[in-house]
Amino acid sequence: MSIDYALVQAINTLFYASILFLIASGLSLIYGIMRILNLAHGSFYMLGAYISYTAAMLWIGPTPAGFVAGFVLSLAFLAAVGALTERILIRPLYSKPSELQLLLTFALMIALDDVVKMIWGPEYKSFTKLPWGYMSIGHYSVPIYMLVVIASSTIIGLLLWWFFAKTTIGKQMRAAAYNPEIAAALGMNTDLLFVSAFALGSALSGFAGAMASPILTAYPGMGTDAIVLSFAVIVIGGMGSILGSVVGALIAAIARTVMVIVYPLLEVALIYIVMIIVLLVKPTGLFGKEIVERR
Amino acid sequence: MKILVKSIWTKLGGIDVLRGVTLEISSTSSIALIGRNGAGKTTLLRTILGILKPYRGSIVVEKGGEQIQTTRMKPYKIARLGIGYVPQGRMIFPDLTVEENLEVAYGSPVPSDVLEWIYTIIPDLKKLRKRLGMYLSGGEQQMLAIARALVRRPKILLLDEPLEGLAPRIVKTITKTLRDIREEGVGLFITEPGNIKRIKPLAEKAYGIDRGEIVYSGNVDGILQDPVARRRIWGL
Repeated sequence: MSIDYALVQAINTLFYASILFLIASGLSLIYGIMRILNLAHGSFYMLGAYISYTAAMLWIGPTPAGFVAGFVLSLAFLAAVGALTERILIRPLYSKPSELQLLLTFALMIALDDVVKMIWGPEYKSFTKLPWGYMSIGHYSVPIYMLVVIASSTIIGLLLWWFFAKTTIGKQMRAAAYNPEIAAALGMNTDLLFVSAFALGSALSGFAGAMASPILTAYPGMGTDAIVLSFAVIVIGGMGSILGSVVGALIAAIARTVMVIVYPLLEVALIYIVMIIVLLVKPTGLFGKEIVERR
Repeated sequence: MKILVKSIWTKLGGIDVLRGVTLEISSTSSIALIGRNGAGKTTLLRTILGILKPYRGSIVVEKGGEQIQTTRMKPYKIARLGIGYVPQGRMIFPDLTVEENLEVAYGSPVPSDVLEWIYTIIPDLKKLRKRLGMYLSGGEQQMLAIARALVRRPKILLLDEPLEGLAPRIVKTITKTLRDIREEGVGLFITEPGNIKRIKPLAEKAYGIDRGEIVYSGNVDGILQDPVARRRIWGL
């Protein structure tokens, strides 16, 4: 194996890890703060992918401006979708058994697949061109776009860390994660904290879809693939931990790369094997704290 | 400021935990609520704070000559009327520092004059301000829980068993702190499972509660002489 080949695989792995991190951190922060497992989270990723496709391929054209517009639009649109979902669909269910939230978000996931088929059709949507050109490593050529995605995801990871460690609203979200009743009784607007957390998590997923689709294409059902993978990531890394999402995404991406090289037919199998091992050895995940059940 | 609780009934898991409770809490007095575990003390505080909603009766906050219906109000809005809360078991946010615990309750980094005021009342907290909540001792946690309830400069503090589970020396310190807070012009409403001796230095008046009903109202000593209170609270 040449150095060039290793470098290309490393970039591929980091690209894949970046996307996984963005989806999984959104899912994880929503669960960590609100104890809601949003099964439609992957569908938000899919919506992000289609919005990015629409902006870059149908409206503006595959120029850097078109792609950036797609990213910004997906981020904003999915933040709004997330806020509305929490406010209208999920909030009425807080006092009800948590199975209802699962069923509701499951229904939303199925409905969104059909919505996407209705608007964009059932076929795969490929981006004909990537912005920012290619870079050659030996006789391989790697899209600069991948490096942009890796850099963006790193910056977002750092911003998330800063948000939860340094801002008052981020700390209030952590307080509400520990005990929302006490937080509210102390004067924190938990309604606002919850809707913001849900919007933030959803926006991260939409952004991930927007960044992934130029390489991985957009198709109905991609949300289901994404949600299952991001479950694996947060089970490995630990629920409700940003660092856990980073590490979980890296492990999952490395496991995938290894399989792609060794036995491509079982591309994602190793990820789930790792997940099973982590579940057996450390059920809270590598960086997870014990999650307290609450009603 | 006054909180007027008017014959409220609150259910918990299908059972009536409060059965027509009427009482008055004021910013100019210190009141003890005495009752056994399960009598409804915590449920009463949670109902006043809007965490639980009564299905009958009403709660009114009297503030600056205004009567504010809080029965259906959101908890954070009730808190912002000037009611501080020290929950049972302290409920310190474990992965936030002392100062961050105060910050989240205040809603932004706490201004230095408010911090100074708090450190004057509770000097021990100052040297702990960078310590995580999970590394505080029981007494330190109780101090922080009181400080956290004070950051919004409330007129009334509701304290749920603040002396429970602490060493006698710590009980003394907390008692002194609460008396200082009282002297700062903050009204206190303190629940106590039954130890009259330790609650007496803190309360000017007492209510007795049993099975969701107020069974005594009067001075603190009197509760031990009152036949109904003796029978229902202590089984004597």
